[in-house]
Amino acid sequence: MAMHGMGRRKFMKMSGATLIVAGAADLVGCATAKPKADGPSAGIRYFDRFGVTEPLLAEVLAVAMSRGADSADVFFQHRVSSGLGLQDGAVNRSYAQVSLGVGVRAVKGDQQGYGFTEDLSLSAIIDCARTAAAIADGPARLGPQRFHVEGKLPDRYPVKVRWEDVRPEQTMPILSRLEARALASDPRVKKVNINFGDEYGAVLIADSSGRIVEDVQPMTRLYLQCTAEQNGRRESGGYNVAARAGLEYYDEDRLARVVREAVTRTTILFEAVPAPTGEMPVVLAAGSSGILLHEAIGHGMEADFNRKNVSIFSDKIGKPVAHPFVNIVDDATLAGARGAINVDDEGNPSGLTHLVENGILSTYLHDSVSARHYGVKPTGNGRRESYQFAPLPRMRATYMLPGPHSKDEIVASVKKGVFCSNFTNGQVNIGAGDFTFYVKNGWLIEDGKLTRPVKDVNVIGNGPKVLEKIDMVANDLVIDEGGWTCGKDGQGVPVSQGIPTVRVSSITVGGQRKA
Amino acid sequence: MATLDPIRQMQDMARGAADAARKAGAQQAAVTAARVRTVEVEWRDGRLERVKEATTRGLQVELYVDGRYSSVGTSDLRPDPLASFVETAIVMARKLEPDPFRSLPDPKLCQGQSKADLDLVDASQSSLTAVGRRERAQAAEAGARGVKGSAAILSVTSGFSDVLSESFRIHTDGFEGTRRGTTFQISAEVSVKDPDGRRPEDWDYALVRHLAAIPASESVGRAAGERAVARIGSKKGESAAMTMVVDSRAASRLVATLTGPLSGMALQQKQSCLEGKLGQPIGSALLDVADDPFLPRGLESRLFDSEGLAARRFPVFEKGVLRNFYVDSYYGRKLKVEPTTRGASNLAWTLGAKGQDALIAEAKEGVLVTGFLGGNSNGTTGDFSLGVQGYRFRGGKVAEPIGEMNISGNLLEVWKRLVALGNDPYPYSRLRTPTLVFEGVQFAGV
Repeated sequence: MAMHGMGRRKFMKMSGATLIVAGAADLVGCATAKPKADGPSAGIRYFDRFGVTEPLLAEVLAVAMSRGADSADVFFQHRVSSGLGLQDGAVNRSYAQVSLGVGVRAVKGDQQGYGFTEDLSLSAIIDCARTAAAIADGPARLGPQRFHVEGKLPDRYPVKVRWEDVRPEQTMPILSRLEARALASDPRVKKVNINFGDEYGAVLIADSSGRIVEDVQPMTRLYLQCTAEQNGRRESGGYNVAARAGLEYYDEDRLARVVREAVTRTTILFEAVPAPTGEMPVVLAAGSSGILLHEAIGHGMEADFNRKNVSIFSDKIGKPVAHPFVNIVDDATLAGARGAINVDDEGNPSGLTHLVENGILSTYLHDSVSARHYGVKPTGNGRRESYQFAPLPRMRATYMLPGPHSKDEIVASVKKGVFCSNFTNGQVNIGAGDFTFYVKNGWLIEDGKLTRPVKDVNVIGNGPKVLEKIDMVANDLVIDEGGWTCGKDGQGVPVSQGIPTVRVSSITVGGQRKA
Repeated sequence: MATLDPIRQMQDMARGAADAARKAGAQQAAVTAARVRTVEVEWRDGRLERVKEATTRGLQVELYVDGRYSSVGTSDLRPDPLASFVETAIVMARKLEPDPFRSLPDPKLCQGQSKADLDLVDASQSSLTAVGRRERAQAAEAGARGVKGSAAILSVTSGFSDVLSESFRIHTDGFEGTRRGTTFQISAEVSVKDPDGRRPEDWDYALVRHLAAIPASESVGRAAGERAVARIGSKKGESAAMTMVVDSRAASRLVATLTGPLSGMALQQKQSCLEGKLGQPIGSALLDVADDPFLPRGLESRLFDSEGLAARRFPVFEKGVLRNFYVDSYYGRKLKVEPTTRGASNLAWTLGAKGQDALIAEAKEGVLVTGFLGGNSNGTTGDFSLGVQGYRFRGGKVAEPIGEMNISGNLLEVWKRLVALGNDPYPYSRLRTPTLVFEGVQFAGV
């Protein structure tokens, strides 16, 4: 709602690039669960320690429904994020943030009332419920009379070593070794900054239907950035990885890749020639180029925009939008992915949704409000940044399925164009459909071959037009391992993306050199 | 609890945390307690869409323990968890490697705060009612629907919000500071149907410290409606080097590309294309900008900055010459320079004499950029590439809308092409940019 100059623009960025504020195990004094009480609240596992009981939930939801809302929900969240930073040769800064709070929502048709508080006393939560209830203005409806605890969630965050149990003595040496390797791998590397972050905690959602769901949600991120010098010139670059996983995520292969990618992506910038300018064929490398899907179609398929009639895809369901070999999905189920969820932030099951099936526009991404509006089942896309926000339809892991072509065939088909390897951010105007993505590293394609590197160039296109122009799709799908954060209405949520190598027959490249 | 003065509560909590930190072994600590009260109303197409109301509280603690540094925060303010939170954070901090450059800022830099009355609090906020807020948002829709060409309007979303922010900061060496401020915002977003199937949108908003200064809701709605209708039929223009006039509202995006390379951290980490350029011309002589924390009712006005340094006004660029970086006390020690401040406050530009229409009339041929879309800049080298939309102008008059275009260049070069500034600083951003005119900017399109 607070627009602050953003308008209805949606954007995504590599979250590794900002300092991750985060900390340490046991930062909450009461992190040890009390012995389980028998009785009506026996199903509440994590939030029992904060005094959350079924009678409390019942009372809050009754107040939220007291002015005639169609439905209401309560969202408790406890999140402990921790971070370590290496700069100038030492792991010499740590960060921690504890978020504990609760939000109450009442829904009447498409209308929503929301209140939240960090004070978990019954009276404070009841105040939030009253605020939310005021969206409706009619006779009271009943809150839930009995609760059902959803006990069978999928297990999509395969953690072996939990962050609660990890100490700085285990993570600090990883950072120091990474720095030493980065400096040793290329004498041109002069400065290394590393930010490491982890999160643990849980959410609890209880709604007016009597459903209670708890989900324990881990996350970790690692970002290595370096600055290199050559003949008096400087360049900076980096690489980051993120996952819903534990300490075991940082195996030797991954750490070696972080160093290698960060250093090569930086030092190759010295070889780069100015990117061309104007319309031309563009080949997107498998992996993080999935940002194209996120911006060109993903946001436009979020059902709130369509319910409000303001998306460029508002009247296109069931219509052909791409070549028949184009299949695009939004998927909650990729185990360990940053965009994976066991359940959405409204407590709905979350699976795999087809945005485009054999070139036909298939399904919007729904939260419960838009699903009720359209008379369909929610797709499990109701997500929020934290208890401070009401949920919205949001993406999870958005990617294109493999197609019939090969990478070599695609590159060889382009006489003069640009090959885009990796990206830092993108943005879209969801009504006009114009979108951009920023290419940090790429290559010129000349006569079917990658010839010289290019860098720092924005690519701009129009969603539906670009979808039509994806005319080759390879069989080499890669889900990017980077730490992407999607922004919408002032809320950031973790997402993933992926794509096989694809060719866009023509798109505008914003370089500095006349092609 | 609710009857206690909130500032007093924050002071007690911050002092308690600072004491706890010292008792647990921190030689120094800084604590900030904050409380933000927000009410938001969103109105869409003839009815209420969302209301949100909340008071959020939190505590941030910066710890200096045996030469080590940690910064932690929590929203769990129950006394027992809070005490153990601080103790645990100190235990963790001790495990870090030492950093000789970390300490509270030199108390001398925190002393001598200006006595200026920044006038940041509007007491009339407490008189706002739910109905009053809703009526303000509703009136913005009416303004949008009244514009010429409104038959093309698909949807209007408008909003009103008001915020009271309060914080209290304390250092264990004696510094104490309180900040309070209100803001009020009215906004409107309008989507229109383009005959070719696109649904272009545009928006307008106003963000002010005092309710009396907020423009009529109808005028904000009207501006959003006119902007959206004017987007109908936008086309990609040709790739060419042209004169670029940047609308005052959009210009903040361009200015923001300078903030990275102007920071002390970027300098010290060798990530600034402005390193070593103090005293050298970076832009044309028209680039003349000061950092002004004392602007009455300014969106980023303050008497002390986020680490407690007493605020002062200083030049950033004088007649094109770089005069100061944004350096906090930590990077000041690393760089062996006097700190200025951690981050920009309000910018004060030396303005031109003319409005945007006159500047366009003078420039004759080129592109008026009204919005940026995505893109990025490389602070180490100065290269930038940004998506743009706006209007072609020909013969000194605004002509057809253009979109899906891009500009690119280098920061060290583009500001030298600044040939004119407007007399129209945009009041709803702390960067307060006027209309900016650049010559010979590379546009990418068809």
